[in-house]
Formats: sequence, C-alpha cells, structure tokens
Amino acid sequence: MERELMLRVKNLKVVFPTPAGVLRAVEGIDLDIHKGECVALVGESGCGKSVSALAVMRLLSTPPAVVRVDELTLDGEDLRDLSEAKMQDIRGKRMAMIFQDAMTALNPVMTIGRQLDELYIRHEHMNAHDARKASIRALELVGVPEPASRANSYPHQLSGGMRQRVMIAMAFACMPKLIIADEPTTALDVTIQAQVLDVLNEMQKKHDVAQLLITHDLSVVANTADVVYVMYSGRIVERATVHDLFNAPQHPYTKGLLASVPKLGDEKRKFTQIPETVPHPLHKPRGCYFHPRCPRATAFCGKDVPPLLETPDGRQLRCWYPLLAKGVDRP
Amino acid sequence: MNRIYVLKRVLYAIFVFAVVITLDFFIPRLGVDDPAARYYPPQGNMTEIEYEIVKQATREQYGFDVPVFQQYLNYLEGLTRFDLGTSFRSGSPRVSDLISERLPWTLALSVTNLVISLFFGILIGAFAAWKRGRWQDTLLLNASTFTTALPAFFIALILTFYLGFEFELFPAYTNPNMVAEFDWSWDAIKVVMNNAALPILSMAVGGIVAYGQSTRNSVIAVTNEDFILTAKAKGLTPRTVLYKHILRNAMLPIVTSLGMSISGLIGGAVIIEQIFNWNGMGTLFLEANSTNDYPLMMGIMLFMSAVAIAANLVTELVYGLLDPRVTVGDRR
Amino acid sequence: MKAVVRTLGTAGSAILRFLAPIGRFLRSVWRHPKGRVGLLIVALLVVCAVFAPWIAPYDPYDVTERAAKGLAPSLEHLLGTTITTGQDIFSMLIYGTRVSLLIGITTGVAIAFIGAFFGILAGYSGGVADTVIMRVVDILLVIPTLPLIIVLTNLFGRSYLMIIAIFAAFGWTGLARVIRSLVLVLKNANYVKAAELAGASRARIMFRHILPGVSHLLIMSTALSCAGIMVAEAGLSFLGLGDPTAISWGKMLAEAQSGGALLFGHWWWIFAPGIGIFLAVFGFMRIGLALEEMLNPRMKQSNGLFKLFRHLDNARLEEVFSQMDAERGNRPWNGN
Repeated sequence: MERELMLRVKNLKVVFPTPAGVLRAVEGIDLDIHKGECVALVGESGCGKSVSALAVMRLLSTPPAVVRVDELTLDGEDLRDLSEAKMQDIRGKRMAMIFQDAMTALNPVMTIGRQLDELYIRHEHMNAHDARKASIRALELVGVPEPASRANSYPHQLSGGMRQRVMIAMAFACMPKLIIADEPTTALDVTIQAQVLDVLNEMQKKHDVAQLLITHDLSVVANTADVVYVMYSGRIVERATVHDLFNAPQHPYTKGLLASVPKLGDEKRKFTQIPETVPHPLHKPRGCYFHPRCPRATAFCGKDVPPLLETPDGRQLRCWYPLLAKGVDRP
Repeated sequence: MNRIYVLKRVLYAIFVFAVVITLDFFIPRLGVDDPAARYYPPQGNMTEIEYEIVKQATREQYGFDVPVFQQYLNYLEGLTRFDLGTSFRSGSPRVSDLISERLPWTLALSVTNLVISLFFGILIGAFAAWKRGRWQDTLLLNASTFTTALPAFFIALILTFYLGFEFELFPAYTNPNMVAEFDWSWDAIKVVMNNAALPILSMAVGGIVAYGQSTRNSVIAVTNEDFILTAKAKGLTPRTVLYKHILRNAMLPIVTSLGMSISGLIGGAVIIEQIFNWNGMGTLFLEANSTNDYPLMMGIMLFMSAVAIAANLVTELVYGLLDPRVTVGDRR
Repeated sequence: MKAVVRTLGTAGSAILRFLAPIGRFLRSVWRHPKGRVGLLIVALLVVCAVFAPWIAPYDPYDVTERAAKGLAPSLEHLLGTTITTGQDIFSMLIYGTRVSLLIGITTGVAIAFIGAFFGILAGYSGGVADTVIMRVVDILLVIPTLPLIIVLTNLFGRSYLMIIAIFAAFGWTGLARVIRSLVLVLKNANYVKAAELAGASRARIMFRHILPGVSHLLIMSTALSCAGIMVAEAGLSFLGLGDPTAISWGKMLAEAQSGGALLFGHWWWIFAPGIGIFLAVFGFMRIGLALEEMLNPRMKQSNGLFKLFRHLDNARLEEVFSQMDAERGNRPWNGN
C-alpha cells in the first residue's frame, strides 16, 4: 500500500567547523516519509536527530553550520534552492515543527492567542478578527478548556501539558502536509506525556498528516509510529516497521535500546545499560561508530564502516554482524 | 494590570519616601551636642552676649527652639506646602525657590543627554547585534571597554581642550550672562544650545556606548532564545520576528536601565556642571556645600531623592505593563 | 602545648581555606587573556604605589623650584611640571597611585565583606531579616550617592578613613542585592539541603557552604566595585572634596583645569592623571570581566567563529563531505 511520498531526504550531511576540528553532526542520512505516515527518528541525545530536523526545515544558519543534501523534496517540491522568502511561506504552512520545551519555545510577553493569530494572519491572510476565531477553534481542537478566555493568557500562566497542546495547535493551524515533532513529550510528566501524545496522534490521524517524530524514548515510538529509523552518532543504523523493530531488531544498538526500557513484569534485577557513552562528535571511532560499545564487535568492526544495506521491503541495516542474519559479506 | 500590584508598589514608594524624609531631617542634627550648631552664623567680632542673642534668634528662625518631635512635625507640615526650608544665603531665599530656578537648567542638560544616549545607543546596539562578530560589533565592544573606564569629567576636559580651545567649536566656559539674558527668544535658545553642547557631549559619549552595549547584549541574548526559533519555524517574516519577538523582549532590560538613568537625572551631572560652570542644581549643591548651607543642601537632597523614588515607581509600573510575568496575576 | 598546636592548626586551615579560592582565582584569571592584562596593569600600579618614593624622580610636593613652572615634557621632567606650582607631574602621577589604590582596594574589600554578609544573610534566612535588609538597600539606593557623600564629608570630615567609611557604608548595597539573588538559588542546592538535614547550624551553613558558592561572583563584583570606587574618589577629589593633603589624580585634574592647562595647551597635565585613572579602572574592570566571562561563558564575544570560516579552506570541508559520501555505501540486500 504505497502511499505518495511526502518528504524525501537523500544524503543529508551537516557539519560544524570549530577551532577544534570539523564537528560531524549528520553524516549522510536518508529519510522517506509518506502521506499520513508517522515516522520515528530514534537515538540518544547528541546523535544528530534535532539537527536533521532543523536541516529539513532549512533553519540551520550558515555560520555555524554547513549543510549539504542531494535531495530534499516536500510534496514533490524541491526545497534545496528555494529563496529564503519562499521558505518562509512554506514554514508554518506546508511544514511545521513542534519543539521540546514549550515554556522556552513560546514568546513570554505575547498571549498565546496572539501567537496563534500570527500564523493565520501570515499564511491564510486573515484579518485579526477572523484569525482570533480560527485560533480559538484550534485551541478547542487540541483540547484546551475555555479556549476563548485562555487565548488571552500568557505562556507562564499555563501548565506544561497545556503549553504543549498550544504548540501542537500552532503546528496544525494551517494544516501542513508534514509535522516534525522534536521530542514533544520529553519535558513533561509521564501522565501528561500520555495525554499530549494522544492529542498529537489524534490530530495526525484525523488530518492525514505526515509526521516525523523525534525522540529518544522507545515507549513513545511503540504507540504512535509506523516506521522507525534508528540513528547513532550521525548515521542511520537501522530502519524497520515498528512491528519488525520491536519483535526482531537486527542492530545490536537497537537491541540495547529495547533492553534498557524497563517493562512491567520484568524479572530482571538490574537495569540493562549500554556501556560507555556516545562518541564525542569531534573524535569518532574508526569503522562502525558503535563498535566500542557493542557486545558483538570484532576487530573487523573497527576497520571499515559497514554499508547501509536495504532489503526490497524497505528494511535498512548498517552492521557487519547483524543479530538475525548469518552475517554480511565483508570485503 | 493587577490593581493590587500597583497599590503595593505605590505604598512601598511612600514608605521609602517617609524614611528618606526622616533621614533628611536627622542627618544635619547628627554628631553635635547642639543640633542648631551648624545653623549659627560665624561669630566674627561679636561679644559672647551678642553672639548668644544671635544664636537664639537663629534657633527661633530655623525652629530649633521647640522640642525635636515638634520640629519634625513642623518640618513635615512644611513639606506638604512644598516648603523645604530657608537658605543661609543673603536675603534668606526659600530653598524651593532656588531649586525651581535652577532645575530647568539641569534638566536641559540631563534630559537632552538621556534622549541622545537612548536614541543613538539603541540604534547602534541593535546594529551591532545584527552584525554580530563582524567589525561593527567588535568596534562597539572595544569602545565600551574604553568609555566605561574613562570618567565623564575626564572626557569633558578632553573635549573642552580639543573642541573648545583648539578648534573653537564650542565655548569652553559657559557664558556667565546666559541665565540672566534668557528670554525664550530664538537667539537666547541658540546661545544656550551652544553652551550646552560640550557638557551634553561629554555625558553622551559614555551614555551612547553604555546603552549601545546594553542593547547589543540584550538583543543577542534574546535572539538565541528558543522562541525565536519557533517564530522562524512558523514562517514569520524577518521583520515580524525582529519587531514583535526579538525587540519586544530585548527592550525589557533597557527599560530598567532607563529607570535608573531617570533616577540620576538631577544628581548625576554635578561634576559636569562644575566643570562648565553651568547654572544648575549641581552647582547649586556645591555652592551650598562650600558655605555650609545646610537647609539648602538637605532640601536639594530630599528633592533628588523624591525624584529618584518617583522614577523608580514609574519604571516598575511600566515594566509591569510590558512584562506579564512580573505582576502576580491570575495563576491557574 | 597540644592546645596551642590545635588552635594554630584550626587558624591555619581557616586562613588557607580563605586564601585557596583567591589563589585559584588568580590563576584562572591569569590564564584568561583579558584577565592577564588586568592583573599586569594592577600589579604595575601596586608596584608604583608601594615603591613610589624610589620610582618617582622628584618629591611631588616640592614647590621650591619656582622657575621651573609650566614646563613641557622633557628628559628631566618626563611629564613636565605644573603651571601653578612647578611640581613634577610624573612624580605626582606615581604618588597618585597610592591614594587611588588605597581607597579603591580598601573600600572594595570592605564592601565585599559587608555586602556578602548582608547578601547571604538576607538570601539564606529569608523572612524578617531578608525584608529588613532589602528595605534598607532600597532606601539607600534611592538617595543620590555623590550629594550624600558630599554632605557626609562636610559633616564628618575629609580624612582618608572617613572617605573609606562613607563609601563603604553606602556602596555595599548593589553587591548585597546581587549576592542575595545567587544565594536564593543556591539555597535549594542539594548539598545545602544535605547539610541542613545533617543538622549543621545556620551560621555554619552560611559560612562553609553558601559562601564558597558565591565566592566567584563576590570576587568579580569586588573587582568591579573597586573600579567604581576609584572613579567616585577621583570625582570627589576633582571637586576638591577629598583629603586635602593627598596627591590624587582627581585633584590633579582639577588643578590642571583651574591652572589653565586647557588655556595654554598643556595637554600632558590633563592626560597624565586621566590616563592614570583610566589604567586603574581599566585594570580592575578587566579582571572583573574575565571573571564574569568565566562565570557566564555565553557572553563571550564569538567573533572567532566568523573569522574561522574564512580560515577554514573549502578544500578541507569538501574532504569531509566526500568521505561521508564514500562511507554511505547504500547496497541492496536480501536480508538473509
């Protein structure tokens, strides 16, 4: 059931030149998101997921970042060489972003109503009156009680979950084709997380919007995503449908991530951890980036970078010794 | 805006004022056995008996012949009539008259300085922030390291030297007839502007750089905030982002600085006025000091404090209007 | 005997605990380029102040050489002589460091103690103490400083001690406010809560735990206060209201103006004390700025990044990108 392609990213590379060396944030990743699909981009902090999202929106400014990409297409339109003015038309209207911490992501001296109105005035060319009506309706849709009076509140007067709903409302306001949600629930309490995720899910499904969900939390992925990309230190190391990923992970890193999520009814006594930490972006290891932490690593893993292999049904893997296969041909 | 917040700030300002009035009353009475001692004229050739009579007359004139508490009440009562006491000067002019005579001249200097510093400072600061990291920004930062270490009176002397004497652009000493001949005519105003140029310039050099630096830091800090990224991600035009999002937030610390500048509007130019012999509150105060004219000195201090309190109050209220986080309003 | 050793030990360790952070700060300031400049300047000034009689070629008070009035700078008189009295300006400059540094540093240290004391007390105790102290601060801040100082020197005399006392009595307010804000944050730190739970007395917590936490801010603010005090003292002596026997840069400037330096074009008489004031203030401000940047790295000038971009030749970047392209290695797979 191949639906039309909404976002295609090919060979996205982002580096940051610094006095200490060239910092490689994103090293040639591909992303495909289809209409109505929810794609999760999973990885530890610092693996380059947020940078990728900003690169897709072309929000990375050139100092300090340098961005190269072979293909960046949104709903058939090539974004690479568009002028900044045209990009401003697209942002907020055809693709939108939800940020992690709604407290700092909202302007503290502007009412939330005004911040919503802005979108309608800018992209739908409404006047202030109509914009406010639309904003109130948007707040209603995301489940904010008493939307008409809440619109006159300031961000600091709302609770965390409420603020995040406002961010969701802002993202969906102009009915974009693609929504990028960067860690939308990380800053919230667990109970509120569930509520906000539900709202997000509901909005996405109802309006058939493609979604790129960025998170480090696998439990969030299980309930909402269709396809999962696993990212490590700037590279994609695995891609699978959510079912395949959770039931039959191929990459040792994915297995490690899954194992470290505590589950009810788990009989283990200690937390499972992946040893050591992510490589420093300026000093990455030779060969496979994960091999210093990998329980299955051999001497060979530290020599050559494993290629990204792709099966006909869309599964991708970057590993010399995958968990379920008999091994990959080595040069 | 929250009524309670306003009321609290106003009441607090009144409280501070009351304390300052009391301090003002007691300071000249400190440290001597006879509190009226500082008010006696010098003995000169008078005999002891004559001097006693003069002292008694002085005590009566300045109200020291009644108990302290009564003196305090009389003082307060005088304040309600804006009577700040009588100066020791010949003719015993009222302090409030002297102040109202000289005040406009000081304001001419300080208000102009403030307006110039604000206007150019904010412009330069915003520009430097826009060109962050480039030479315009570095220039501003280097300039500020210099001017903050150079006291205004030194700058005044340098400017007087070059602009006043070497190039003779402006008069180095204030025209002594300027005040007497002032008649609101256009010519008289031009004379004043000509004389005021150097004093204002001396203060403005530091002022522009200070506001510039402050604006630059504030704008850069705000530009790095997350909500600016959100604004850009919403596809808002750069102009909207700049005015509605960046500047609205960056101006908040400037408002606070502005409040502090207004507090110092009257007392801040004392040295500059002295250098240029400008006929304002600063020189009035120094004259009072050299003649030990306590009623005048304390009257001026009280006036300056009152202005500072009022300025602080207004600043707080304005800031409360601009920044919704301040007024503890309706938290849900 | 044992008691003597023990008290010496406690005293010694208290002193060391006091000096150690200062030593650490000096080292970290030295490493910072701006701080190093500041330290060097201040060190130079201190040397001038301490060794003034040996450095200055003439006795600055010497007014006997009447014929030598108003000389331009020459080899004999490096900065010339004053028009009015024939004093050697260079010697006066050197001796001027004494007044500025004495008043600046003593007052700065006094302000540090008073301000830290009240700031920590207000911030940590909260409640009545906090309210009272902050009200006092508000009231003191409202009264215009220079006129107040003038009045008090008028009432109480103009000796060094009085000037230092008055400056200190009114200069601690800003510092107290700043320290208090930090203490309010530190109050909730885990290590403070742990000490409270362990039953440490309030005084002990304030001294042993909170004080080290604010020490960085304290030293930075002290450096900046010293700078401010020196400007204020210069202003005061410029008005002729400083200590009458002292040789102070402010007074030199006033004498220069009234002595006709401007009129006769003797710019050296104006610039010498002015540069003196500038150096002293600049030195302390650099130290304070260095400490501030260490506390708050975001405020650093990041003009380096832009320059860097031009230095980093494109060849290097292209190298990185082509390496990434090579490592992509997308290949079809049957997923065995």
